[in-house]
Amino acid sequence: MTLFDVMAPTRPMAERAARQAVDVPVAIYGNNWCGITQMTRRALDRAGIEYHYVDLDRHPDVNRKLQLLGRGRARTPLVYVGGEWLMAPGLPQLQRALARHGVNL
Amino acid sequence: MDAFALVDGFDVDKAAVPTNDAAGVDVRELYRTAPPMEGERVAGGLPVGTPAPDFSLPDASGRVVRLSDFRGRPVALVFYPLDWSPGCSVQLDLYQQEIAEFESRGIQLIGISADSIYSHGAWAAVRGIRYPLLSDFHPKGETARAYNVWRVRNGFSERAVYLIDDEGVIRWAHVSPQLHHLPDFDELVAALETIKAPETGSAPIESEGERQ
Repeated sequence: MTLFDVMAPTRPMAERAARQAVDVPVAIYGNNWCGITQMTRRALDRAGIEYHYVDLDRHPDVNRKLQLLGRGRARTPLVYVGGEWLMAPGLPQLQRALARHGVNL
Repeated sequence: MDAFALVDGFDVDKAAVPTNDAAGVDVRELYRTAPPMEGERVAGGLPVGTPAPDFSLPDASGRVVRLSDFRGRPVALVFYPLDWSPGCSVQLDLYQQEIAEFESRGIQLIGISADSIYSHGAWAAVRGIRYPLLSDFHPKGETARAYNVWRVRNGFSERAVYLIDDEGVIRWAHVSPQLHHLPDFDELVAALETIKAPETGSAPIESEGERQ
């Protein structure tokens, strides 16, 4: 999964679950100040699901590409789950997308 | 048009990012299409070390809550602009999702905005928010003014988080530089750790449970 340059997540968290063996690529393109980004990351952390995270404040070029992808109407965070793009998803939507790849959130 | 051919021709890899136009039909999702609420910080908040001003405000059930009710236990006070507006919703959702970070440290979480108690009740119901939301409605914004987070020209408050220790002193303060920005949750958790109750595990007040 090398669509854009991505950074490895670093999220120490007290109740982080044992890492799930997950072979579906997951990436979050969001902002540190964004609530949905924070909710999504913490939910994945807690479930022990690995993901790539791109801080769009630090990568405005990626943000521009995502806006092209969304025809200018993309709302962040954009979450990539194994070929599927989710726009500012709620947790149920993310849960369903992961479940399609056999991953439990 | 052949409705089946339309679906057959759909190339998942090349398709545009789906839009959320249908989201507006669900009240819970209205905030997604609500007009943006953005703006730079205009009020700077109170400095750390200041005694937290007391207040007396009703929650969604009409019960009056005072800050001094919580003397002896730490409080996280979250000022947010308005119910139903974009951004706000996810801040309160985030804190509900992560409520264990507050409760495990014996910290009482409280939200405050200038909305009426009836708005708070509906808002908390559709969002599933179970911690108290207080109504700074009349005189409008009086408590936000006391905490120096009132936006006079907008008629609502800044987005601000105050962490108040068990003796009623402000130990951490964050006024968002932009209205739609939330404090980083990891930084907030680190700050929660500094004000946590000596003996943790006490049950926080839930306004919902005291309605009867």
